[in-house]
Amino acid sequence: MKRKLITVAAWFLCLGGVASAHRLDECLQAMLVTVEQDHVHTSMRLIPGVAVSAAVIADIDRNGDGVLSMGERQAYAERVLGDWSLTVDGNRLTPRLVSMEFPQIDQIREGLGEIHLEFTADLPKGGRNRRLILENHRQDPNTAYMVNALVPHDNNIQIVGQKRNELQSFYQLDYIQTDVAAPTGWWDQVGGTGFASLFRLGVRHIAEGTDHLLFLLALLLPAPLLVVGSRWSGVVSARQSLLRILKIVTAFTVGHSITLALAAMGVVSVPSRPIEVLIAVSILVSAFHALRPLFPGREAGIAAFFGLIHGLAFAATLSELGLGQWERVVGILAFNLGIETMQLFVVAVTLPSLLLLSRTRAYPAFRVGGALFAGVAAVGWIAERLFGLHGPVDLWVNAVAHHALWVAGALFLVSLVCWRSWNIDRRAATVALDPCGYPA
Amino acid sequence: MNSFPMRTIRICAWAVVLWMSVTVAAQQTATTKIVSAANAFLATLDAKQRKSVMYAYDDETQRAKWSNFPTGFVPRGGISLRDMTPAQRKAAMTLVAATLSHRGLEKVEQIMEGDEVNKIQEAKNQGNRPQGGPPQGAQQGPPQDGQQGPPPGGRGGRPPFGGGGLSADLFGKDLYYISILGTPSAKTPWMLQFGGHHLALNITIAGDQGILTPTLTGAQPALYTLDGKTVRPLGQESDKGFALLQALDDTQKKQAVLSYKLADLVLGPGQDGKTIVPEGLKATAMNEKQKAMLLDVISEWAGIVHESAASARMAQLKADLNETWFSWSGPTTVTPGNNITAYYRIQGPHLVIEYAPQTLGGDASLHVHTMYRDPTNDYGRGLAKQ
Repeated sequence: MKRKLITVAAWFLCLGGVASAHRLDECLQAMLVTVEQDHVHTSMRLIPGVAVSAAVIADIDRNGDGVLSMGERQAYAERVLGDWSLTVDGNRLTPRLVSMEFPQIDQIREGLGEIHLEFTADLPKGGRNRRLILENHRQDPNTAYMVNALVPHDNNIQIVGQKRNELQSFYQLDYIQTDVAAPTGWWDQVGGTGFASLFRLGVRHIAEGTDHLLFLLALLLPAPLLVVGSRWSGVVSARQSLLRILKIVTAFTVGHSITLALAAMGVVSVPSRPIEVLIAVSILVSAFHALRPLFPGREAGIAAFFGLIHGLAFAATLSELGLGQWERVVGILAFNLGIETMQLFVVAVTLPSLLLLSRTRAYPAFRVGGALFAGVAAVGWIAERLFGLHGPVDLWVNAVAHHALWVAGALFLVSLVCWRSWNIDRRAATVALDPCGYPA
Repeated sequence: MNSFPMRTIRICAWAVVLWMSVTVAAQQTATTKIVSAANAFLATLDAKQRKSVMYAYDDETQRAKWSNFPTGFVPRGGISLRDMTPAQRKAAMTLVAATLSHRGLEKVEQIMEGDEVNKIQEAKNQGNRPQGGPPQGAQQGPPQDGQQGPPPGGRGGRPPFGGGGLSADLFGKDLYYISILGTPSAKTPWMLQFGGHHLALNITIAGDQGILTPTLTGAQPALYTLDGKTVRPLGQESDKGFALLQALDDTQKKQAVLSYKLADLVLGPGQDGKTIVPEGLKATAMNEKQKAMLLDVISEWAGIVHESAASARMAQLKADLNETWFSWSGPTTVTPGNNITAYYRIQGPHLVIEYAPQTLGGDASLHVHTMYRDPTNDYGRGLAKQ
């Protein structure tokens, strides 16, 4: 009874004063992650501060009877779990609740209650280098997150890196499974998760590697155009444009596939920094070419040449994974297929707009705008990669890239509108072309 | 001719024996002094009090029963200074003092004094402000089962709302509890616990060894004025940590300063026996001067325990230095004369130090929790394995 009185007293007291210095308005979610050979274990402590404790209690005690029934606890734990996603090497895992511990409802109310949840997820077999990502999708502004990895018990697991966003609602853990045996047959690889995840990695590499895309898109900008003197002028037929684009994309693919294979197999080895700088230079070159023809008719050759350089960068991504020799052959195939798929997707999405727009008066403005965007981004990247100068380049390139589908959709709509209103009948102006699509 | 070297050898041998016995005597002095202080303290208690203070050495529940919270929220074991006679209180503080270094004792006294200041401030607030809210939920002792009654030897015969008003039940320099696990001995291990709001000293005495881990120190207010003098109980921790950060070059800083916020202690109360993956800047990337500064920051915790135990501990941590990491999260600036508002952590094979300002609600420079651990030897557990 006395304890209760004191508690009540404490309550009122705190209403008066402690507020000035104590945290009240937050729920702390502290997680400790343990990686084992075949599963990941996460232990979570949920500590609701007093100001949010009533809301937390209401969230658990859904029927409001003042009792946290087993069913309510279970449902709450599942909801908390549902706020998080857990992936390994890009594959979504399904964690299951293995234990939960709830304090007395009064303790939660007082801000003294710690809810303990433990969950485990099985890990599919994978390569030597693995990446675990734990991400909260609720991002409750009243919650502070803390995520840490415990030092693994298993000596064969070496943690090599941890990354978090500022709020710790995103957590990435990279580790090496040092005892992973080489795969036995290629079917295991092709059919296994390794293939799928490397394919996805290839897709993601292009989707997120805006520099590769910017190079290709800048190179495609003048593809539907004619050269008159030292300027872009006039337009070639749709068929010719398509043919040129196909050639450029194929040349780029051939180029980067060659070096990707060579570098990933360890035949050639180039430090990554100059490669990154050269990639930025390649964007600058293709952006300039979109402004004024530098190498008309030789775009495919240029694409192949710079493709060789881009391939070396792709290989760097692949070599970070530390695959074995045989894994590597299959890995290169899967990774490259992922790259091609994403690249084709991007070209397929932008191609119609490009063809339509090129037949309107708006195209010169669009071409110049696009070229300037790519050029400025390239200069920014060069400065960053060469001198370590950090500008806003990544920020705004990513801003565009993050809304890529919307941008592409808007572009298509704009080009439709432009095409309807400003369609120039170029047929009369079409000049006799050589087989490469340039004026004979 | 022969007798000369013989005599020299004999003198040297005596000198060695003398030196060793002096050393051994000095080491024994610390432990034996503590043991006799413990026995003297126990002798002042009546049978009932003694029963409340003494626990079995293997009592894991009592061992882990410490917290940063006021004792009114999370009850501690043992008996409080408030429930002692002046003579008992003096004996208790003599025991605590015997286990600590001079500056360790000073820190402890300033933390306790700070809680007294807190009590007075809270009592004032109580009169003035009827609104606000109860304390935060973060960081507390081990999970409470809700069935613990009032602390043993508790508030016998005292009206619950008497004394300095409501805050008297939560704060004040007399609300610190003492308990002993095992029997005070110069040979077999035993443990002394002393703590309350923002303080948890867990001192394992094992022969000539004195193990202070895990220990929590904290302060609120972390800056106050007493007799016209400004006191910052954990000011050195703040200043030395910040000085180390300042001494790093840009590349080192980039590694040391973490990109994310840390809301609280990662390995606070209830988190015994856990080792997290270290982050930040490894001391191998520091120059000699920076390494010396790092060791100096560490000494603020490692030097709380009495001198001979502290120097053994410092030697161990110095040997570990190249495997030790320093990380920082939060503002990299400080208002002169104030405490930092950033979190920092020092972690090595035998060490975890966390300095965690409580960032939300109020001024983070005025409220700090710190943690000092040895993941391999918290509560002297490593001794059993040897």
